[in-house]
Amino acid sequence: MPPVEAQVRATKDRKAAPDFSLKDENGKTVKLSDYRGKVVLLNFWATWCGPCKVEIPWFIEFEQQYKDKGFAVLGVAMDDEGWQAVKPYLTERKVNYRILLGDDSVTQLYGGVDSLPTTFVIDKDGRIASAHVGLVGKNEYAGEIQALLKGGQETAAAGRGPLSSADSLLASAAK
Amino acid sequence: MLPAEALTAHRGATLAQRLTVTVKPGYHVNSDRPKDEYIIPLKLTWTSGPLDAKTTVYPKAEEIQVNGQALTVFTGTFPIQTEFQVEPNATPGTVTVNGKLKYQACNNEMCLRPVTIDIPLQVTIQ
Repeated sequence: MPPVEAQVRATKDRKAAPDFSLKDENGKTVKLSDYRGKVVLLNFWATWCGPCKVEIPWFIEFEQQYKDKGFAVLGVAMDDEGWQAVKPYLTERKVNYRILLGDDSVTQLYGGVDSLPTTFVIDKDGRIASAHVGLVGKNEYAGEIQALLKGGQETAAAGRGPLSSADSLLASAAK
Repeated sequence: MLPAEALTAHRGATLAQRLTVTVKPGYHVNSDRPKDEYIIPLKLTWTSGPLDAKTTVYPKAEEIQVNGQALTVFTGTFPIQTEFQVEPNATPGTVTVNGKLKYQACNNEMCLRPVTIDIPLQVTIQ
């Protein structure tokens, strides 16, 4: 994989990722804060979302590659039909990371999440290091994950541009 | 989207109503018959009443490739036509027939969550 510049924001500029509780496919309640101490890729998606479908194999690979290094992918499915639609999809695509069933109370915490995919990369301290609305390159995610696992956040943040749409939404929701 | 125009119909007659839909540039909506079972199709439905929706005709879908996926979609402005049958013993007067249009839109990078909008259609039965 070619090297890429990680686009995570500086530690001082990161806001806390809002905590939430949702159920996984086994009915177990999972909180985002359960993942404190890990780098988390929090991905809002749906089975009907084409661009989301493109990203899923990448996330499967990231889960395999970085799971033992303090990383986890957490998918939040936004299908109105619930597990009836989501479970077969997960089986077909051999999804190896945890999926939760989302609801509007959680998306409101993250600025509404009107578009999918919307993805937040969260550092080990539970703060949002980057936010992406729409399809993003695999290498960009890999670079961000690697930077956060190394803990080299300040250096990696050097190239950060203006706030993305997801950042702006989150900022609005926090007011 | 253009609102459905008020119509006049005779008892026992058939009438066609055309709904004109415009999709924002850069976006597409899934066709009424998507290739992938998980994709949410465009669907116009009408509640039953003195007018019975017999058939709904969608235009021919475009076939496009997005991120390596083959999709059948509608873009730009397109019509959806419904043919109604007015009950022979319908009471004369003005009635509202309620339609619902469900659609789900995407561009090449992202998708919007599915939306259902109400389509009220006023019909004067003579």
